[in-house]
Amino acid sequence: MKLYSLSVLYKGINKSNLLKAAYDLSSFSFFQRSSVQEFMTFTSALIVERSSTGTRSSIKEQEYLCHVYVRNDSLGGVVIADGEYPSRVCFTLLDKVLDEFSRQVDSIDWPSGSPATISYTALDSYLAKYQNPREADAMTKVQAELDETKIILHNTMESLLERGEKLDDLVQKSEHLGTQSKAFYKTARKQNSCCEVM
Amino acid sequence: MAESEEEVDVLVQRVVKDINNAFKKNPNIDEIGLIPCPEARYNRSPIVLVENKLGMESWCVKFLLPFVHNKLLLYRQRKQWLDREALIDITCTLLLLNPDFTTAWNVRRWVLQQVLRQCRPRAAEQKEPGEVELGGAQGSPPNERLRRVLRDEMKVCAEAAGRYPSNYNAWSHRIWVLQNLAKGNLKILYDELSSMKLWVSTHVSDHSGFHYRQFLMKALVAELSRATDASCGPSQDLHRSHWPNGDGVGPAAAEESRTASVPELFGKELELCTDLIETYPGHETLWCHRRHVFFLWYHWRKEQSQDVGRQPSLLNHTDETLSGSLGASAGRNVQAMDVDLALEESKQTSYTQDSKRLKRGPLQLRPGLPSEHSFVTKILSGCRSPEQGRFAAAYRKWLDSVIGQ
Repeated sequence: MKLYSLSVLYKGINKSNLLKAAYDLSSFSFFQRSSVQEFMTFTSALIVERSSTGTRSSIKEQEYLCHVYVRNDSLGGVVIADGEYPSRVCFTLLDKVLDEFSRQVDSIDWPSGSPATISYTALDSYLAKYQNPREADAMTKVQAELDETKIILHNTMESLLERGEKLDDLVQKSEHLGTQSKAFYKTARKQNSCCEVM
Repeated sequence: MAESEEEVDVLVQRVVKDINNAFKKNPNIDEIGLIPCPEARYNRSPIVLVENKLGMESWCVKFLLPFVHNKLLLYRQRKQWLDREALIDITCTLLLLNPDFTTAWNVRRWVLQQVLRQCRPRAAEQKEPGEVELGGAQGSPPNERLRRVLRDEMKVCAEAAGRYPSNYNAWSHRIWVLQNLAKGNLKILYDELSSMKLWVSTHVSDHSGFHYRQFLMKALVAELSRATDASCGPSQDLHRSHWPNGDGVGPAAAEESRTASVPELFGKELELCTDLIETYPGHETLWCHRRHVFFLWYHWRKEQSQDVGRQPSLLNHTDETLSGSLGASAGRNVQAMDVDLALEESKQTSYTQDSKRLKRGPLQLRPGLPSEHSFVTKILSGCRSPEQGRFAAAYRKWLDSVIGQ
């Protein structure tokens, strides 16, 4: 039961930009961590770009579940978790984080912001605290507030894309991914086992 | 880049040598990992050492794995000798690269059997093969060694289990180790049950983890039932469950562990199951576990009621020591349970927040069909997950068709 990343992004007209992120890559092997982090950033940005404002979604990709909330003011948050972690707690976390972020960081700074320019430091501790969903004590609160019927479910990343768009192309064009990560993705896709080496 | 067989051989020998040198250079290496790297750079070693992490570029794995596998096979066929250290290194490498590699686990077990043979004291020749007295009277060095071996094996199993969901091989190895290195040791069984609580609570769809708990339950029930059947007094059992060299476990605690009754054991396990089912709706593994545990309980009760003449009070007394329950009337139904009875579990309760649970409602202390049915009703009435509803309904059907004859 794990949380891998927690990101805050701004959904611009054409693309989204990353404002701040926290990662827990301890379960990945040491040498794969930088690639994994890049892919998580890439995925989070893509998800926010393809989600409408005012929506919550859960997207399944292999053994990961990505939960996203894009607010009406275009501030968005993405949690990447495993299949066991209760999704309700993720949405509570997103509500909380985005609320706090919007109060601490002026909205003027969102459209052009980046992790280097934005000063919001609570993401790491939220990610650590919520690794244990019960410790975070969010479960009872969510039962009452969240209307789960409104959460859009996607079974693959592909279903977020426009007709004719290919994930492979987006990977190649992405500025979030370094050359090594792109090369690795290409080989892994050929073997039909993304991110699985054996 | 086509390579001839000789070139491949030379390459692999070089890589294995690089790995050995890396371990010699840094004896504190705690991780071997793959570096995603599809192509080799000319004449550069694929082995990278960063602090305590050993990296292997992924392109060389397709050469390395068959080579190491082959070496292991030759060893097993007695066609090539490898000393114990080399064997451990090879099985470690194989397991790190592929935690599901069955042959490597088999070889590891074979090595452990050699260790056991060395450690077995002469007096134990009479015993069944594989059974070792860990609580040896003299507390001699072999027991210390075995304890360390046990700890190491548990550690290897835990690491392998974490890398790969439902890692059958890691868990069956763990079971094998307990059966061969810790046979009949109540303290270890209880410790394992307690320490695994947190693990299964954070891996609620890992069936192998729960299967391990089912094994522990079966072993504990067998041991506890045996202990009460034994006409010789508690002293013999203390001998078996007491670790030498003082683990902070005095005779009193050992006695306490032993006398925790079977119904209490089941009550606690079902409680854990209830807690997880309610907290994490929609995981079939949890419902499967419940079935196993309840069936075990049902089966045990049936056995007990068949031996009516012997110890009928066990069915009804959940809070008295075994020595005190003899002679009490059957049919008395004790409801209250001493919830403060401190077992090893207190070590790991911070996660499950026991105090909160007590306030939530009456604890399910006595397993039984009525309480199972009311549990299902409760779940169905409050559940918002369609899977959870399905699993609950299926469980009820199972209760009716299998149990409630």
